[in-house]
Amino acid sequence: MRACLSVFRLRLRLETQYRGAALGGIVCQIFFGLILSALYRALYFGKPQVRPLAHVITYVWLQQAFFRMLLSSDGDLMDKIRTGGIAYDLCRPLPLYGFYYARIMAQKLMGSLLRAVPMIIFAALLPGGWGMGAPASLPALLAAAAALVLGLSCVCAMENITMAFTMRTLDPRGIQAMLNLLMTILSGNLLPLTLFPDSWQRMITLLPYAQLLDAPIRLYTGEYALGQAPQVLLLQAGWTAALIAAGCWLWKRNQKRLVLQGG
Amino acid sequence: MDTLRIYLRSMGILIKGQLQYPVSFFLQTLAQLIMEGGELLAVILLVDRFDHLNQWGPGDLYFFFGLMSVTFYLTECFGRGITGNFPSMVRSGQLDTLLVRPRGILTQVLCSAVDPRRVACMAVGTVSLIIGSRMAEISWSASKALLLAESVFCGFFLILGLFLIEGILCIHSVKSVEIANALTYGGRSACQYPVDVFPRPLRTLFTVVAPFALVMHVPASHILGKPIFGWPGWTAFVSPLAGFVLFFVMTALFARAMRFYRSAGS
Repeated sequence: MRACLSVFRLRLRLETQYRGAALGGIVCQIFFGLILSALYRALYFGKPQVRPLAHVITYVWLQQAFFRMLLSSDGDLMDKIRTGGIAYDLCRPLPLYGFYYARIMAQKLMGSLLRAVPMIIFAALLPGGWGMGAPASLPALLAAAAALVLGLSCVCAMENITMAFTMRTLDPRGIQAMLNLLMTILSGNLLPLTLFPDSWQRMITLLPYAQLLDAPIRLYTGEYALGQAPQVLLLQAGWTAALIAAGCWLWKRNQKRLVLQGG
Repeated sequence: MDTLRIYLRSMGILIKGQLQYPVSFFLQTLAQLIMEGGELLAVILLVDRFDHLNQWGPGDLYFFFGLMSVTFYLTECFGRGITGNFPSMVRSGQLDTLLVRPRGILTQVLCSAVDPRRVACMAVGTVSLIIGSRMAEISWSASKALLLAESVFCGFFLILGLFLIEGILCIHSVKSVEIANALTYGGRSACQYPVDVFPRPLRTLFTVVAPFALVMHVPASHILGKPIFGWPGWTAFVSPLAGFVLFFVMTALFARAMRFYRSAGS
């Protein structure tokens, strides 16, 4: 456990080194945020909806700000699996699952913080109707923050499961492209989940993908009332626990029937 | 002509090479199909909820989406050398080997890669074009078909030109420059919707700087019978040429940048 913690701390520091890349990413995400805001404004202008426009715009900005949390994976690990370098990791006196979990968690946490903080400041400064709205209330903000932490734990657990499958199939590109697609659609990155047909939403919000950013954002805008917060957080915690358990099991099995690549 | 022959020959060899791993190729193509299908799904869901976007009905929106999707992925398929591999060629010093061969750099870069998996994305785009043209009840004529072909053809060069910007920046900075993606991928995401839904600064950007509007939206809106800027009909045939203009400006700048190229490899 202590070893994993220090892996976590080291990776955090490593991630802060890529500030130039972060800056480029921020400019891109802001540009996308502006384009999407303009699009939804035009759509709302034609046919106003029950759900206020300000919520949708806030949704867009938060999704763009935490984009890096959803779609980033441990490139080193992927190479190690392909080249057989993972043999060195197997020799470490560490729980393998915890080791990779700490690495991906650090990468996603720092990668998204470096981008999210400046972007949220920028989005909050934009004029009304374009920028990010304030949280529904202070308790709503706190609940959203707690939900975001759970969302991060959940996405890391999902990532580890993907990696466990990668170890099985070796050519990860096909399956990874599909999982990434599920991620962009079902987590509300491509299109806010709040704009999906209402009958679909009841199902979609129960899926693990909706726990990552959709649940925190809905708590933030007040889409989920405060009274619902415990229920939402419980669902998130449930998925996280289930996915971590599944990931641990998969990694254990992988370790038992292992074929190394390389030579 | 000789150059074209070399290009086609290298494409043939590269595609044959990729088909040596049929299962992997099939799975990746399937993934591309689902990916672009997801993009189309987003448009369908928006149409389902909002019915229309300013004066554009569902059919119009599918048509615009299809045009962008076919053009963009045509570029990513045949321009793969520029759209995908160039930054890593600069970083690894692989570009040096091209310098000693008796052909243009751009030709060689274009001949170095192809991405046939993108055919799946183009298929989704084509389906969207067909649905759009059915729903918008377009009355096709020879000149409209020609105009569509011209738009796709010029769009290919426009997008290739925009990807060249990243190449040019990359020659100077060695590292791949993410900011250049804002114009290419950002342009794709924005201009799959007609440009007049955007506020003035964005509209100017996509009409003057990265002229997606001139190359795609003016001809497409003419085909749909609702000229986007209210311009007369003949302009629809002229404005896509802006794609060529941008491409030639970028190739000139690219040639200039190559004079400053310093090898990064060992």
